[in-house]
Amino acid sequence: MSQELQLEIEELSVQFKTDSGVLEALRPISFSLAEAEILGVVGESGSGKSITNLALMGLLPDNALIHAKKVNFNKTSLNLNSQKELRKIRGSQISMIFQDPMTALNPSLTVGYQMIETLRCHFDISKIAAEHRAISLLERVGISNAMTHLKSYSFELSGGMSQRVMIAMAISCHPKLLIADEPTTALDVTIQKQILDLLLDLQKENRMSMIFVSHDLALVKKYSQRIQVMYAGAIVESGNTVDVIKQPRHPYTFGLLKARPSAHEGLVKEHLYAIPGVVPSLKERPTGCQFHPRCFRSTELCKKQDPELRANLENTAQKFACHHPLEIS
Amino acid sequence: MKEFFYEIWIDIRKNKAAFAGLILILIFLFLAVFAPLLSPFFPDQVIDGALRLPPNSHFQNYYFVFGTDDIGRDLFTRLLYGSRVSLLVGLSVVLLAASLGTFLGLVSGYFSGWTDRIVSRTMDFIMALPSVLFAIVIVAVLGPGLINAIVAVSIVALPNFVRLIRAQVLAEKSKPYVQAAQLYGASHFRILFKEILPNCMAPLIVQGSLGFSDGVLNCAALGFLGLGAQAPTPEWGTMLSDARSFLETSPWMVNLPGLCILLVVLSFNLLGDGLRDALDPRLKNRA
Amino acid sequence: MSLLKVTNLKKSYITKNLFGPQREQKILKGISFELSENQILGIVGESGCGKSTLAKVLTRLEPFSGGEITFTGKDLKSFSPKEFPYQIQMVFQDPYQSLNPRKKAWEIIADPILVTENISRLEAKQRALQMMKKVGLLAETCERYPHQFSGGQRQRLGIARALMLRPKLLILDEPVSALDVSIQAQVLNLLLDLQKEFQLSMIFISHDLSVVKHISDRTLVLYFGEIVEMGPSREIFERPQHSYTRKLLESAP
Repeated sequence: MSQELQLEIEELSVQFKTDSGVLEALRPISFSLAEAEILGVVGESGSGKSITNLALMGLLPDNALIHAKKVNFNKTSLNLNSQKELRKIRGSQISMIFQDPMTALNPSLTVGYQMIETLRCHFDISKIAAEHRAISLLERVGISNAMTHLKSYSFELSGGMSQRVMIAMAISCHPKLLIADEPTTALDVTIQKQILDLLLDLQKENRMSMIFVSHDLALVKKYSQRIQVMYAGAIVESGNTVDVIKQPRHPYTFGLLKARPSAHEGLVKEHLYAIPGVVPSLKERPTGCQFHPRCFRSTELCKKQDPELRANLENTAQKFACHHPLEIS
Repeated sequence: MKEFFYEIWIDIRKNKAAFAGLILILIFLFLAVFAPLLSPFFPDQVIDGALRLPPNSHFQNYYFVFGTDDIGRDLFTRLLYGSRVSLLVGLSVVLLAASLGTFLGLVSGYFSGWTDRIVSRTMDFIMALPSVLFAIVIVAVLGPGLINAIVAVSIVALPNFVRLIRAQVLAEKSKPYVQAAQLYGASHFRILFKEILPNCMAPLIVQGSLGFSDGVLNCAALGFLGLGAQAPTPEWGTMLSDARSFLETSPWMVNLPGLCILLVVLSFNLLGDGLRDALDPRLKNRA
Repeated sequence: MSLLKVTNLKKSYITKNLFGPQREQKILKGISFELSENQILGIVGESGCGKSTLAKVLTRLEPFSGGEITFTGKDLKSFSPKEFPYQIQMVFQDPYQSLNPRKKAWEIIADPILVTENISRLEAKQRALQMMKKVGLLAETCERYPHQFSGGQRQRLGIARALMLRPKLLILDEPVSALDVSIQAQVLNLLLDLQKEFQLSMIFISHDLSVVKHISDRTLVLYFGEIVEMGPSREIFERPQHSYTRKLLESAP
């Protein structure tokens, strides 16, 4: 499977200038995304998964310092510090869906107005044509009665409906890359499934690349081809989803997998495996491997030396950053 | 609470305008407290013959930095003592309006129903009238004088505090920590004063600072109209009014008290704005 | 003996419109269930199914419109305001809004006993510190304010506060929904331990089936104010009878 790379990032790092000095939110990370591929990004809050996406969209606050050795999108180089360059591709080539659909829509404008404005902003079309397009888009994301819903306001819609509208707006310009940042965290399980299935359909249909961010490994494993586990601003494990889920090498990935209770397996009223402690805040980052204070396999070496992301010998696609990776069983 | 004030202090120090306001307030406070030591004369002392001398003038053996007024009193001395009156007036207005306003706001926000309706409609009524006009009416009923002016200005300032606290209470009382307190049987009194009130402090402090300048200004206005402090009290508004007829011949008699009022009001407004920036979470990103 | 017995519980809100008629919105449409001592009952349902309203009714934060609730054999309404806090306590969903931001950790935990018992602040602090240890918080952190704790730690504070009065029943309204997966597991394990230690009964409300399965003895599925399925958790998750339960299970990742 030799696919063209849609997005190629080398050594992207983000720092924040604050009163208490420069804090490193994202340590240099490199990753790439093939055309029509879904990359699942997993990690607890504070792991840097959202910061990566916001940097790509140029939506980080002004006190952020972004460095990157190379960012290639669609085979052209991209300067993440240039708002001008980013504005050109934001919305039209890269779109984003956020966690809270209720606040992502403007409550004082109708859904239709916002959709039509977005469409006319990117395409040179008449109002009528834009309206027709908006209706067909809403129908595509599974909103019946699209005509009437064009006239409704975001607060009149349920959470699932608003997220559908957000998706319709996000795909309206046929983006090459869709970033879904915890798109269903605020929604009920049944709605969550509908929304994710819809995203999957649209992704296949338009051959979009997609970055799917979630703190829930169980979701990511179902909806992604490749997976990237992040911890404290760095990638700790990446590889094909099947491999990583079946054979996690990094203790953090292992912990995340075990900690998630499942409705389908396991016993009733059973103690869960829990990773002790919490993600360290930006100000209290440990030395060496960032995960060592919480890790059950940590040694003196982990305290001193930060492991690099390296490839597994047998399976080159799977990489992990650990001195003492879990054995292959 | 200590950390709370420390955080405010950090923010104020970063905000240049607010810090300037704070320094100015401290200077006025210093002048007010040590007025008897700093002033060369008594505020009511009349120097025979030294009528309407311009600033920086010598008369017999005396030196007048800011000149004298129409009956020969030292303007510098009177301005110093005037700062005592003004700051005291501002403080009294804020204390009166804030304490009563906070209580009414807490009660009307927490116990909705008829309590709320009575309090809110009364406040609407007060706000519907132009503030100075309403203060004049109150003073006219109570009789002119500094104390009555303070009472009148406090009543006019009351709705600001009541509405502010009421809105805050409405937002806070639906939060789960209040429900938790209800669940373990905390009394209404305890919930109001120990749970909700500490969370109203931020806007209260801001409003207190802004209310201070309003109080000073309104009292000066009443003084100017002859309804506030009565002569010979060295009150800036009253001084301004007395000097009105000499505006063309001796402008310093009008300018200097006016400048003092301006500075005090400005410094409290600057500080108030700075406090608002420091305390309003929407304006501040606590990273 | 059943600790809590709910019979045909109804709750509706009357919404008054300025123009047009009054509308009655039925939130709970006559639900009945029982809870025995030392048991954890899981309540599953999606937003709008009435599960939070049920929690509020059971904690007497809101009145109910019909039916009967008996607790330890007595009518729920018959408990005096002094007795009731020792019967039922609650842990709230949002760990950021359920703790007073202007109070220190130990003050938050000690407040229930300071309110109900006639003890000194020092003694209350001692007991608060003991409870902090029990829920896995370091005693050194007792002088901190809520915003200095992480989400999981805040939820532990909320649990500690609810347990201070040693209630017979603890109601947990989506206690782990706002937390990361790894922290969720920590809190769930803590709850299971505490249940054994304090001989607690719990009602665990959540929209997340997998979480409910891992903590509850019995599960109740709520759908638009009605119970569609109820029974031992194992049976419900292995052999769901109602189509809605099946749909929920299928949707779970």
